[in-house]
Order: sequence, then C-alpha cells, then structure tokens
Amino acid sequence: MELKNKVGILADAAKYDVSCSSSGSSREGEKGSLGHAVPAGICHSWSDDGRCISLLKILMTNNCIYDCKYCVNRVSNDVPRVMLTPDELVYLTINFYRRNYIEGLFLSSGVFRSPDYTMELMIEAIKKLRYEYNFQGYIHLKAIPGCDRRLLTEAGMLADRMSVNIETPTSDSLKLLAPQKNKEALVGPMYFIKERILEERENRRIFKASPKFIPAGQSTQLIVGATPESDLRILTLSQGLYRRLQMKRVYYSAYMPVVFHPMLPAVEKPPLLREHRLYQADWLLRFYGFSAEELLDYDNPNLDSLIDPKSDWAVRNYHLFPVEINKAEYEMLLRVPGIGVKSAEKILRARRIRALDYDNLKKIGVVLKRARHFITCKGKFYGSTFREEYQLRQQLMPYQAAKKIRIEDGEQLSFFSQILPRSEEQSRFLVRAGEV
Amino acid sequence: MLRYIFDGTFEGLLTCIYEAFYRRQSPDSICCWYQLQEDLISCCTEIRTDQEKADRVLKSIRSKISAKALDHAFHAYLSEIDDIGVWIYRYLKLGWKIGPSVDSCLWEDEVQMVQKAARKTEGECHRMLGLLRFRELQSGIFYAPMGPDHNIVSLLAPHFAKRLSDQPWMIHDVKRDIAAIYDRKDWTIALIRQKKALPLHGDELEFQRMWKQYFKSVAISSRRNLRLQKHFMPSRYWRYLVEKN
Ligand code: SF4
Repeated sequence: MELKNKVGILADAAKYDVSCSSSGSSREGEKGSLGHAVPAGICHSWSDDGRCISLLKILMTNNCIYDCKYCVNRVSNDVPRVMLTPDELVYLTINFYRRNYIEGLFLSSGVFRSPDYTMELMIEAIKKLRYEYNFQGYIHLKAIPGCDRRLLTEAGMLADRMSVNIETPTSDSLKLLAPQKNKEALVGPMYFIKERILEERENRRIFKASPKFIPAGQSTQLIVGATPESDLRILTLSQGLYRRLQMKRVYYSAYMPVVFHPMLPAVEKPPLLREHRLYQADWLLRFYGFSAEELLDYDNPNLDSLIDPKSDWAVRNYHLFPVEINKAEYEMLLRVPGIGVKSAEKILRARRIRALDYDNLKKIGVVLKRARHFITCKGKFYGSTFREEYQLRQQLMPYQAAKKIRIEDGEQLSFFSQILPRSEEQSRFLVRAGEV
Repeated sequence: MLRYIFDGTFEGLLTCIYEAFYRRQSPDSICCWYQLQEDLISCCTEIRTDQEKADRVLKSIRSKISAKALDHAFHAYLSEIDDIGVWIYRYLKLGWKIGPSVDSCLWEDEVQMVQKAARKTEGECHRMLGLLRFRELQSGIFYAPMGPDHNIVSLLAPHFAKRLSDQPWMIHDVKRDIAAIYDRKDWTIALIRQKKALPLHGDELEFQRMWKQYFKSVAISSRRNLRLQKHFMPSRYWRYLVEKN
C-alpha cells in the first residue's frame, strides 16, 4: 500500500488521543543535528475541528488484539488494518520536520501480538530517530499497558513525554468497557514512571551528565460522557493524579460515538461543553490554587453549564467579596471572576508603584465587566448590588452566551435565552452529556 | 509641528532619539522617509543615521533602563505600526526618567503603546515559528516564503538556525523583499527580488500530498469547527500554507 494511504488510516485511528502538546522539554540542538525542543511548545497548524496540530500523531499499527468497546481499533471492528515499518515512520517524521510541518512525533499503537512486541517496535523506531538521525525534536510515546518495566525504562530515556491513558474515571467502568485492561495495568506504569523520574533527578544532582528520563513528564487522558461518573468524581481523580503522580497534564476527551455498542450511550454529539468546563476546572486546579472539593460537592456534583467554574465558585462564596484591589493577596486576586494570571501579575507590579483606581485598572488592561462586582478600588465599589443570586449569575454569563456556546458546542442551545433553576439545568445537562 | 525623518533602520531611529536629546527638541513625529506623503517632506528635519550615536543610545538604554526595555523598543520598531517611532522615543524618555520600573507603569500611554506593538511582533513571530513551511528546491535548499504583518524575519532566523542546522534554508519575506539565508554555518539578511516560482525537488510534492492527507485525516468530523480554526490560523496566512492550498 502507498505510504500516503497508510498515513491516512493510521492518523485517522490516532486522532482520538487529545494531547498534542509539545511543551515542557528543552533539547538543545547542536550543529549537524536535526531539531531542538522549546519549553513553551509550538503549534504548527489547526485542523478543521479547531484543534492544534503540533506533533505527527500516528499509530505504529491499528492492528489490535484488545477489544475496548469505545475504540475504533478494537479487534471486533471491521476496518482495514495497516502497519508502518520503523523505517517508514522515521522517513515521515524527518521529512515533515525538515519542512516545519511538525514539532515532533506522538507515537501510539494498537496492541499487536503482545504489549511487549508492540513496545519493542515503537522503541526501535525512536532509537533510529535519536541515534541514526540524531533527531532532537519532541517525542511523545504512548506506553502500552502491560508491557515490561524494562521497556518502559528504555523508552523513557528516548522520549520527552510518556503517557498511559487511564481511559475511564473508575475501575468499574473500565471493567465494563475495556475488559482486557485492568487498573493495575494502567496505574502501575504511571507509578513506575513517576519513581523513575524522581530517581533520575536524584542521579542528576550527583552526575550532571546522566541522561534525562522523560524531561516533559507524563500525561494521561480519560473519556468523558461514556460512563456515568460525575464531574466531582472526575476532578477528584485528576487532583489525585496531579498531586500523587505529579502528572503534567490530564486530558479530557468528550465521548465520541465512533462505534455502536449496546453498552455505550447513544449520543449524537460529543459532550463538548462538559469537556470545556472540565478543562476550565482543571486549569483552576493547576494554576489557581483551587481544590476539587471547593469547586464541587455532593449536592452539586457537576459543573454549571451556564457560567464558568470560577464564576460559579465566586457566586457561591459571595460573602468573601468584594476585595480591595490594592491590598488583596495574589491568591485572592486570582479568585476574582475576570482576573486571570496575567492580570493579577500586572496588578501586583503596578500597585507597587502607586495605588490603583478604577481607571488605572482599565488602562493596564484588566477586563472589568465581571470583575467590578467583586472588587473595590481605593475603597470604592463600582459594581451592582444584587438581591437574588440568579441576577448575579446572569451578569457573569458571557454576553453572547448563546452564540459563544455554539462555537464551543457546535449546536444552538435554546435554553440560553432564559435562566433555568439549577435542577432542570442539570437534568438537561445529563441528557446532553449522554449519561446513562 | 516638528517632524523627524530617518532612513528606516533601527540605528536611524536611535540616532533620532539621540538628536532629540542633544538638540533639546521634542519631535511630534518620527517616521521613515518611505512612509511619508510627498507634500509633508518640506516640513521635516532629516536625521542622518550615525552608528556611533546609535551605539551610545543603545548602551544607555541597557545600563540606565533595562535590557527588557531595549527588547520592547526593538520589537515595537519591527512592528512597523504607524507612528510607533515617536512612541518609542517617549517611552525611552520616560524610562530614562524613572529607570527599570518603567515597564510597570502600564497606565502611561507610551508604555502601553510600545508594549502593545512589541507584543504584536512577538505574537506573530511565535505564530510563524509554527506556520512557516519549507519546500525543498531542486538545488537542495529549503525555501519558505511568507508575508507577515510585521518585520519578523530577523527574529525567526536564530530559531531555525538552531533547529534546522544541518540543511541550507532561506526564509523569504515576500512583502518586504528581504530574506534570511542560512548556509549550514551562519545566517544573514539579504535583499531579494524573487518573483518567479522556483523549481521544486522531485520528492517535494509527494511530501506535500502526504502532509495534506495527514491534515485531513486528523480532523474529527463530529467536532468540525472552522471558525475556531480561523481564529487560531487567520486566513491571511493561508497563502503559503501547504495544507490550506
Ligand atoms: S488497546 Fe488501545 S487500540 Fe486496542 S482496542 Fe483498546 S484502546 Fe483501542
């Protein structure tokens, strides 16, 4: 088969992996070698679904002996199977890289013959890239669940990032949907990788030149909307992954009806809004000092669909506001709706030089449309007062909520024209998210 | 109204700033001659670029304000936004008055204007690090044409000299007729007038086809969102993008 057609099939089969990040690693190129990696990562294109293309995201093969219910490559699915040779893969990567199409390679694979056999194939390709072609670009390698630890170690020395997908939020769901995978096969490698990273860091403190073990850390991904777990459950899991496993990123993938199966919910559209809200909440966990328990609780286990998680938190904790912009701690500034990391930093820098009034804030580029209800400037309050909570909520919704949501969601939601009481809002939410 | 004109180089702009201080003048406008309309030429003071004066200003920015301020001024200059010259002058003047903290005085117009212009240049530069596409020519040189809003070719070159260090390449700003040329050792900037299409290497189109195929296959159709795509990748950049052609 022509290489171009193989690329088509194997990219098509790889595209449900969300991560395309090329950040977190810095590899110095040297004269005569090809490539280098920059810590911030670079996007090279955006596909028709608006997602960034940074890496050549491709499978070694879509041949798979497993039968995960949600996956196009599962053994019981009737699709054409192809396989790249390590040489073909190297040829593609190098030539795409030389043309600046990509930042590097994201290599994954179906399980061909056995986990070890597959992992060895992948390692062979990456070894060629690194040693024969002296390739210093970014490499993200998927660890095949159940492969030997020795292979994980070897792969980690070659790749910038590794990931094992945790797939579903609970092991019960996993048993149901991916019967050949078990929690141990997924979480085991994660712990192992984490230990190796720590160990290697210790070594480097003594021997500066000892090789790096996945400098960009590990990430994982879980599917949202294929199983009945709440957002609280998901965020608590993510929080644990960040804290205990020092995961660099957790990715959420709105469940896509790629296959029909009686065990899976019949959804017409992937729950993109829910996915979007989870990313927002995830962001709050990682950069804003929030904990999952602050954002959600057992009475409110799912994220609000109308306003973003930070605004929702602020409404529920309205008694903590307003805060004085010239005195509030950085952590508190970050909790004001409408003030992000950049604005908070600007405020900190500027107020060291003079006390800021409302106009100063505007001038330094802080967007005050929502923030003004939560702050005072030199003791003065510029917001409105609200008798009812829903009035405040209304103020916090994006101005063209309906329009905006259409962008995120690909469909018009009629209920954005009015505000519904929370319970009803939620029940619609559940329907949309395809929860069973 | 006092108007300075200069030759369009960064050294020229710095010389203007030197002269403004030396002559105790405060120009209302500093522009380069090719941005000027004919009828205005008469009421201009022409400033001749002087490397020595420019160097003194450069040093003084570094030592009395900050290296960051120099970056801001240079990147703002590269933005080629109308009238940015005089804003750079005012920004530096304020900088010499209050020192390194000038960049925190975000409520001052000149600080805002210069930082905004610099951010535009830097933003486009970062975007182009990804969007630039090289084509292999018959001669074995990798050629990348582009038409950016700002004059970023000199900012792009160091990145690619590091990244594609073992292949000869050329980044051509078609709008400004300048190019960065790299010969596997060093890069230089040269004036270039190349309008004809260059002959491609025999394998080039095959790779373009594979890349297009990849680009198509990797999109998820149930998430199709062309507006979002355009938001990140505005259509003015499509002309030189292999996958969008
Ligand atoms: S192991 Fe991976 S490729 Fe194979 S069916 Fe499961 S998810 Fe799909």
